[in-house]
Amino acid sequence: MWFVGFLVGMAGLSAAAAERPAPDLREGAAAYAQSCARCHGPQGRGDGIDATRFFPRPRDLTLGVYKFRSTASGTPPTDEDLFQTITGGLPGSNMPDWQHLEERARWQLVEYLKSLSPIFDQTPPSPVQVASDPGPQRADHARGKVLYEQLGCAACHGAQGRANGPSAAGLVDDWGMPIRPANLTQGWSYRGGYDPRSVMLRVLTGIDGAGMPSYAEALSPEDAWHLAYYVASLQEEPHWNLIAHASYVEGALPAAWDDVRWRTAESTTVRLRNAVNVSGEWVGPPTINAVSFHVMSNGEAAAFRVSWDDPTQELRETSDAFALILKPAGAEGDVVTLQAWPSAGAPRLDLCYWSARTQQVSEGLAGDYDSVMASKASQVLRAATASYGEGRWHLVFQRPLAPGSPSGAAVLPVDGFTSVAFAVWDGGQPHARAVSPWVDVVLNKGRQAGGTRH
Amino acid sequence: MRDARYRYRSALVIAVLVAIGCGGGKPQDADATTEPRAEPERPKQLAQAAAEPPPAAAGTGASIRGAIRFQGAAPSPEKIKMDADPVCQQQHQGAFYGEEVVVNSNGTLKNVFVYVKEGLQGAFPAPTTPVALDQHGCWYRPHVFGIQVNQPLEIVNSDATLHNVNVKPASNQPFNIAQPVKGMKTTKKFAKPESMVKFKCNVHPWMSAYAGVLEHPFFSVSGEDGSFAITGLPAGSYTLEAWHERYGTQTQTVSIAEGETKQADFAFKAP
Repeated sequence: MWFVGFLVGMAGLSAAAAERPAPDLREGAAAYAQSCARCHGPQGRGDGIDATRFFPRPRDLTLGVYKFRSTASGTPPTDEDLFQTITGGLPGSNMPDWQHLEERARWQLVEYLKSLSPIFDQTPPSPVQVASDPGPQRADHARGKVLYEQLGCAACHGAQGRANGPSAAGLVDDWGMPIRPANLTQGWSYRGGYDPRSVMLRVLTGIDGAGMPSYAEALSPEDAWHLAYYVASLQEEPHWNLIAHASYVEGALPAAWDDVRWRTAESTTVRLRNAVNVSGEWVGPPTINAVSFHVMSNGEAAAFRVSWDDPTQELRETSDAFALILKPAGAEGDVVTLQAWPSAGAPRLDLCYWSARTQQVSEGLAGDYDSVMASKASQVLRAATASYGEGRWHLVFQRPLAPGSPSGAAVLPVDGFTSVAFAVWDGGQPHARAVSPWVDVVLNKGRQAGGTRH
Repeated sequence: MRDARYRYRSALVIAVLVAIGCGGGKPQDADATTEPRAEPERPKQLAQAAAEPPPAAAGTGASIRGAIRFQGAAPSPEKIKMDADPVCQQQHQGAFYGEEVVVNSNGTLKNVFVYVKEGLQGAFPAPTTPVALDQHGCWYRPHVFGIQVNQPLEIVNSDATLHNVNVKPASNQPFNIAQPVKGMKTTKKFAKPESMVKFKCNVHPWMSAYAGVLEHPFFSVSGEDGSFAITGLPAGSYTLEAWHERYGTQTQTVSIAEGETKQADFAFKAP
C-alpha cells in the first residue's frame, strides 16, 4: 500500500521536474523583480517597502536560511522545496501562493533565489531520511501522544498544542526578533502545511532560523510519522462561514459557555489581524489569531459565545480584553474598515467591551477604543460570564436585539443581516490589538439555522 | 555521528517503554538489554582536558602564561530565573548566577579565551579525543571552551528536560538539534576555524556557551584564579588574542625561544 502512495507522490513530482526549463537567471531576476521584490527587497535582503509591518518578516534571501525544507538542519533546501514554497505559499504568513505564475517562471525563480546566497554552492542539500507514510489507519495515536510528551513538544507548543508552553513567551529567532510557536490546534496557521507529511518533515528537519530544532537524531523516521499524525489530531476544524447563522431558542438564553444548547448552534471562525502600533510596526508576534463564535436568539435578545486562544491569562491592570463591535443604529453600508479604526474623523461604533480585570461587559458608542476602555463613554452593563482554561478564553454575554440604551445602540434585525466584528487584546501585549473584518450574521426567527452545527 | 544516533534512539525507546509502562516491566528490565544505558557517565574530565592544551612533545616547547586582570567596578552578577522550567529550577538550591562576567575573588576575570591568533606554522592534526559540552542544570558546562577544527564535540544532555542546541556560526555549517531526553549525545565537528561560535537553547533562553575553533591546540581559558597557560609552543613570535564575551578582544605579541616561558598578562576594564 505504502508503495503505491509513494509512486503516486513521486509521479506528481517528476511530472513537475520534467517541465523544468534550462536555468536562465535573467528570466528569474525579472520574475523576482515583478513578484517578490515588493516584500523581499530589490536585492533579496528581506527589506521590501512593507517589511517592518509584517509578521513574520519577509525572509532575507541572501542569508540562505530557509525554514521549510526536506533537508537536515543547517543545509539548504532542495530545488523542489523552494518550488513548493513558491507554488503553495506559506499559510498564516503574508507569503501568498504563486500558482498563477507559469511553472517555468517558478523554476526560474528557484534558480534566481539560489543565486542570492553562496550556501547553495558551498553546502549540498542533505535530505533527511523519511519513512513511508503509515496512513491514518496504521498511525499509532497513543505512541504519537507519548512522543509528544517525551520529546518536550509541550515546552513551547503547550500540552494541548495551544502555543502556551512555559517557554513560548521568551522565544526569539536567530536574529533576536520575538517569535511564537505554532498553535497546533490551528492547522490553517501552520506555515509549512498541516498535513501529516509536512508536519513529519518539520519535526525531522526543524525550522531553521526559528527556534524549532531538528529531531532527526532524536526519533526514528517511523516515529516521526506517529508524532505527525498525533499533532494533526490536535487540529480543530475551523468554520469559515461567509454568513454566520444564529440559532433560535424559546425562553431563556444560555448564560454559561458549556451550556449544551451551544452544541446545536452554528460555529463560525474568524481570523484576526494584528493591528500595528502608532509608528506602523509590529509590537510583537501575534498571540491571538482567531475567534470562533456562536449566536443564539430568542427573538428579544441575543446571546453571544466567543472563544479564543490566548496563551496567558492576564487579569491585572492591562488585562486580557475583548470587544464585540456593532454598527450603530442607522449606520449604512461599510462604515469603516477596522484595521484603520480609530482614525481621524472615523465614525462612532457600538462596542460591547469586556475585560478580564472587571469581568463585565459594558456597551457604549465611541469613536475610539480608549474611551470605552476608560469608561468615558456612556455605557450599559450586559450580563456576562467568562472562563479561562488550557490556553483559551470563553466569554458568554447577552444583549437585547433593540436596546433602549445606550443612545444609538445597534439594532439587530430578525430575519435580516447584521454586521459584527471582534477586537481582542492580549494583556501580555497591551498595545497589540487583534481585529477581525466585518462578518455578516443572520438572526432567524422561530427556526433553526441550516449548515454545520458544533 | 551514526553511533550517537543509534545510542540515543535506544535511549529513547527505553525511556518511552518506561514511560508507558509497556508490559509492566520495571526500569531495570530496560537495563538488561545489550543497548547502552540511557544515562551515560558525564565526561567532565574531557571538557577540562580539552580546555587545556596537550603537553609539549618530549618535554620541549615554550610556554606563555599569564593572568587576566579586571579593572573597575565589577557588575553585579546576573541572577538567572529558571522558573519557566521546573526541571531546571529544581536542580539549583537558592540563587543561580550567570557566567557572562565572573570576577574572581583575586580580582581576575574568568572565562576569557586566550589563543595564538597569528605566527604559527605547520599543521596540527585534530585530536580524536572529543571535547564535551554538557547541558546540566539547564546550563552549558563549560561556558567557554576551545576546540580544534575537525575535533569531535560531544554534546550531552544531562537534564531530564528538552534542550535544543542552536548553533549559527559564520563560517561553519549551522545546526539546531533537539535533545529531548536525558542522556542523549550528539557529536558534531567544525570544519573551519572560527572565533567564537555561540551555542544557545531556545527553550531556555538564558543558556549560552562559546567555542573558539582553531586549527591548532594553543589556547586556554581563564579559570577561577584568572590565569591561563599555553604550553608546548614552538619557538617563534606570536600574536595572542584574549576574548571575553562582554568586554571584547585584546591582542599582544610575544616572542619566545625554545623551552622558554614568558608571562603575558591582559587587563579588561569595565566601561
